[in-house]
This record gives sequence, structure tokens and C-alpha cells, in this order.
Amino acid sequence: MAISVKVMHRPAPETTSYLRAALSGMALTFKHMINPVKVTQQYPEEQTDLSPRWRGTHVMETHADGRPKCVACGLCPTVCPANCIRLVGGEDDQGNRYPIVYEIDEFRCIFCGMCQEVCPVEAIHVGRHFENAEYTRDRFVYDLDRLMEQDHPSTLLWDPSDPSSE
Amino acid sequence: MAELIKLTIDGHDVAVPRGTTILEAAKTIGAEVPHYCYHPGMSSPAMCRLCLVDVEGAPKPMPGCVTTVMEGQTVHTQSEKARKNRQGVLEFYLVNHPLDCPICDMSGECNLQDYVHDEGREQGRGREPKRVFGRDDFGGDVLFYGDRCVMCTRCVRFMSEVEQDHRLTVVERGDRSIIDTFFDEGLDGTNWHGNIVDICPVGALVSKDFLHKARAWDLEHTPSVCTSCSQGCNIDLHTRDNLVQRIKPRENLDVNAWWMCDHGRHNYEWMNHGDRIEAPLVREDSGSRAVDWKSSLSSILARAGELGNQPVKAVASPFSSNEDLGALAQLVGALGGGETTFRSSRAEAEVPLKGFPTLVRRRDLAPNRNGAELIGFKRVGNDDGFGGLDKVAEHDGILIVLGDALVDQTPDFGSKASLYIYLGTHDSPAARNAHLVLPVTTHAEHEGTFTNHEGRVQRFWPALQPPGMARPAWLVLGALVGELTERSGPRKATDAFSSLSGAVSAFGGITYDDIGTRGAVVNESVSLTGD
Repeated sequence: MAISVKVMHRPAPETTSYLRAALSGMALTFKHMINPVKVTQQYPEEQTDLSPRWRGTHVMETHADGRPKCVACGLCPTVCPANCIRLVGGEDDQGNRYPIVYEIDEFRCIFCGMCQEVCPVEAIHVGRHFENAEYTRDRFVYDLDRLMEQDHPSTLLWDPSDPSSE
Repeated sequence: MAELIKLTIDGHDVAVPRGTTILEAAKTIGAEVPHYCYHPGMSSPAMCRLCLVDVEGAPKPMPGCVTTVMEGQTVHTQSEKARKNRQGVLEFYLVNHPLDCPICDMSGECNLQDYVHDEGREQGRGREPKRVFGRDDFGGDVLFYGDRCVMCTRCVRFMSEVEQDHRLTVVERGDRSIIDTFFDEGLDGTNWHGNIVDICPVGALVSKDFLHKARAWDLEHTPSVCTSCSQGCNIDLHTRDNLVQRIKPRENLDVNAWWMCDHGRHNYEWMNHGDRIEAPLVREDSGSRAVDWKSSLSSILARAGELGNQPVKAVASPFSSNEDLGALAQLVGALGGGETTFRSSRAEAEVPLKGFPTLVRRRDLAPNRNGAELIGFKRVGNDDGFGGLDKVAEHDGILIVLGDALVDQTPDFGSKASLYIYLGTHDSPAARNAHLVLPVTTHAEHEGTFTNHEGRVQRFWPALQPPGMARPAWLVLGALVGELTERSGPRKATDAFSSLSGAVSAFGGITYDDIGTRGAVVNESVSLTGD
């Protein structure tokens, strides 16, 4: 089959005018100026709702007296597929097992939420939160104090009124 | 040979000697009957009621740990009746056993966890509150969590039957019964009480040393041999993050059965010592300079070639393996021969385990004194492992030190030596005059064998990564021997051992395969000096 070339016959510039096209374009522009439907979201003044299944940076639940709920059982570092949790267990002065070191590297974390699922004492949770910007990389390794200070809510995947999902 | 009894267990025909229990007979066909109170090293009180098996014709389920086999018996360990029995017994255990697996040190290696997971009810039916005892310090290295106890009394029977020092007993009755010590005496001063932590089937007895240190499933187990005395107890090194976390005895009925002493059990921190030599060091006027292995070994060979046949003095350590010592003896021979010595400390007295008389904490506080003597090293110095090196310190020929830290020696040690090579794990002030300091590995980092007090050669396996460029001494010395004798040096520990068994008649005919995990006795009867 022979290759054919379609030849376009355009009107010469001096025989046509773009005025009509320019006007219709401007009309659309001015219509949007007065149209109340706005698509652009004014973040950060305006916030979108996160999905109920959102899994963000972690939160450590605390007891009323400020102690972490974690008992250093070692299940979350065991189950973590990204190997981002470092845990050293110990005993506090009341004889309770607690984490001396509990660090989560949020850069390595893949936010699968398995740490929350496996936790037998409902201590570690993934949070409804995504604004994690920091000035240095090392700030992304969250230690125990930082995890306890996090004030954003836990994910809706976990219902505090029914902690063991019964 | 006792009379054989034929019976059927789970459809398999079994023939076992008269007097064997059903539980042990079931083991021979690989059928594991769950049990707590039964332990092969102690009497069976049949009080845990977990090993109940279904015997055809018997009106009730029979406890497998005390019922001996009978001719023509038909036993079911997995029948519906047997399983229901066990499920019921397990449910009774869970009436009072707390659900504290997350904070329990036994979690992951707990028999109650395993059995309930395999055969227990899916949902508990308990409504009443569980009884609470709290925890008790038993003294020594043992903590007692009364709530977790399943009252198997293995610990009580160990102390009364095996250690034969009645320190523990059961007090109270019924569901209030609890293990306790007599007044405030506790377990302090006993030498074998660490074993009750091993035999506790649940987390009721835990080690203070290991408390909250690591989870059982994180630990890697490497078979090894205890280095704390010449008994050579078979052990497992439990490691995590390239650190030894604890030592557990490994079953070997010829040496230590299921037991080991507390001293050996807690003598592992030295294997984790961080302050190691990591590269071959050449001593120069300005200090030490790290060099690579090739140039360090070729400089030794060049210097030895210049010196010609000078008298050699070698000081070894009874903590070195047979392979290391054999390679050192061959190197001394290849350099023209000389005097080979070692120093070894000895305790004041033995510490026997009364219920298992062949297990004794020996006077020799090193694992391989017999190996060193068989290979031709001579013991010098006193019972503290010091002294005896006055002539060696002033020696003006070739001087080789392997493994001995020389802590009692002055920094002038070896200052007159024409060539002084120090092979060790840690740098020592007495190695200051060494022309070369070579980093070698500990027994936890390489493969090798020790010869114990009765001449049993036992293998150990590497559990840890060696630091930096440290290499097994048999590899380093073997390479030097290879260059001097124009043969190839050993590449594997088994090569080093076969060259040793070719050179020393006591080890002749033994191979690594013969030794296996149980050990093999050397050919000559070993003289036990002073034991």
C-alpha cells in the first residue's frame, strides 16, 4: 500500500480573522469570574476530610498517669514488614514491663497499620494525619516521647469504645 | 537386654523394653504426648494430668508418664477421647493462668501457649476472677510469678532429686497451692538452680538476668560448648543482634544430660566484649599501624627466613580450640621446634551435681586443658593461671603468644625476642613489644573442637560475626605453616582438624562427622591430673 499524505489547505492569514475565537475564549474566562462554583481548595485554610481508612503517622496511647500503654511485648517489631520499629524492653520502678526505647522510623514505615492490628494492649495506632514536614531528616525517627505527644486522632479503623473490635 | 513388649500406639506397632512408660514408647514413633510434670531426668508424680492417653480396655484415661506398657495394648494418643481429655485439662489450667503472654518472658517457647494453641478451646468460658499471687524473688537468679504456675512441681523435684538441696516446696492446698522457699532462705548459694528456669514449662520461673531482654522468637540458637570449666557442657548460644543474650544447656546424656551450672550459664558477657583488635597491627616507633593480612603474614615469613633456625617459645591458652593448638604446634615445628606451654587456672574444689554424678563443675576453669596437653603443650604457672613465664619473657628467639592475655606480665614482656607475634582477641599491655599483633576470633565466632576432662572431643559452631578482620587462629597459623612447608593451608575447620588428627595420634581416626553434636572420645586414655 502506497503511503499517501493528506495535504491541509488552510486559508491564508490575510483572508481570515481570529476575532471570533478570541471573543469566545474571553467569554468563558469572564463567565468563571462570576460563577460561584469554585474547584480550587484554599489549603491550608480549608482542609479536606480524610478517608475513614486513612493511615498516617503513629500515636502512642497513654494511661491516665502519663505512662505509655505499651508493654514492650515485641509483636510490632516482629510483624512490621518494613522493619522500622526499634524496641528495647525493661521494667519500671513499679515492676511493670515498659519500653525503654521505642522508635519508629516514619521514613521506612509503609503505613500498613499492622502494628496497630497486632498490638495486644491497644497502645500503638496509626493516626489521621498527614502534615509531617520537618526541617531535618532525623526528626522523622519518632521516639517514645514524641509518639506520646502526638495530638492528632487515631485512625477510624480503631474504635476506642470497642477496643478489641468485638 | 530387657524383654521387649509389643503394643500398638496410634496404629503403629511398637516394641519397647518392659518397664517403658507409654509416653516414652510414643516418643519412639514420634508421637508427642503433651506433658508438664514428666521430665526424663526426674521422677514422674503424674500430677499435671495432661498426658492422659486413651488405652483400649481401660475404664479411665491413663497418665502416659507413669503407666508402663503391657503386651498387646492398644493406645490412642490422638483419638477423640484423648483430645477431649486434654482440652478439658487445659481449660482447667486457664481458669487461673493469666493472659499476660505479652509481658511474659516465656512467651514464644511456652508449653501452655503451644498446647492451648494446638488443642485448646477457641473461647474461654471462665466467668470468675482469677486468683492473684503476684511475684516473688526466690533469690539467686530466679523470679517466681505465682499466677503463671501450673503446679507441675518440676522445680521442687529438681531441687530435691537432682540438686538434692531441698530449697523449694509446695505450700497451701487446692487452687491456693503455690511454690515457695523455706523462710527467707531462697535459692542463694545453690550452684545449679538456673536449671529450674529451663525446666519450668510456663513462665512462672524466669531468669532475672534475661528478664525482658529479648523475645524467644528473636533468638537464634547455635550449638556450642561451655568454656567455663573442663566438663564441656553442651550448650546453645542464644544470640540476637550479634550479641549473646543467654546460654541454655543442650541435651547430651554423655556429658551434661539436660543441666548446666549457674556459673557457666552466666559467663557469656565476655563474648560480647566490644573492645577487640580488629586488624593486624604492626608495632612501630610511632605506635601501631593497621595492615592487611597478606602483608602481615608475608612480613612474618620474611623475618622468620632472615632469622633462620632460632629457638621458638610458644605460649597458648586452654581457651583455644584443638585446631588452633594443633596449628600452633605445627608452626613451632616448621620454624625448627621449641618449647610450647600454656597456663590454666584451677578452682579450689569441684562442684558436683549430686543427682547426676558425672556432671561436675571441674577444677580446671578452661575448656581445653586436655586438648592442649594431648597436642604436647606443657602446663606452667600456678592455680590462678599466672606466673611460670619468667624465661619466656626474657626469651631472645622467636616468641609466639596465642590467646593468653598475659595480665600478670610487665610491659617488658618479650622485649628481647627477635620476633614476637601476639595472636589475641584483645590488645594487652604485655603485647606492647610484639612485632605483630594479629586479631583472632573467640570460640563463639568460629568452628572448632574442645577436648573435655574425659577426653571427649566436642564441636562448637560459630554464633557471632567476628569483628573487623579477625580470623580463626587455625586459619592464620595454618596459612603460615602452609607457606613454610610449601603445602596449602586449611580452608575449613575440618581441614585443620584432619591435619591435627594426622599429626597427633590421640585424635587419629576421628573426623568431624564422627564427632557430630554428641562428641567422640579420643583414642588414648587421658591422664586427669589432680581431678
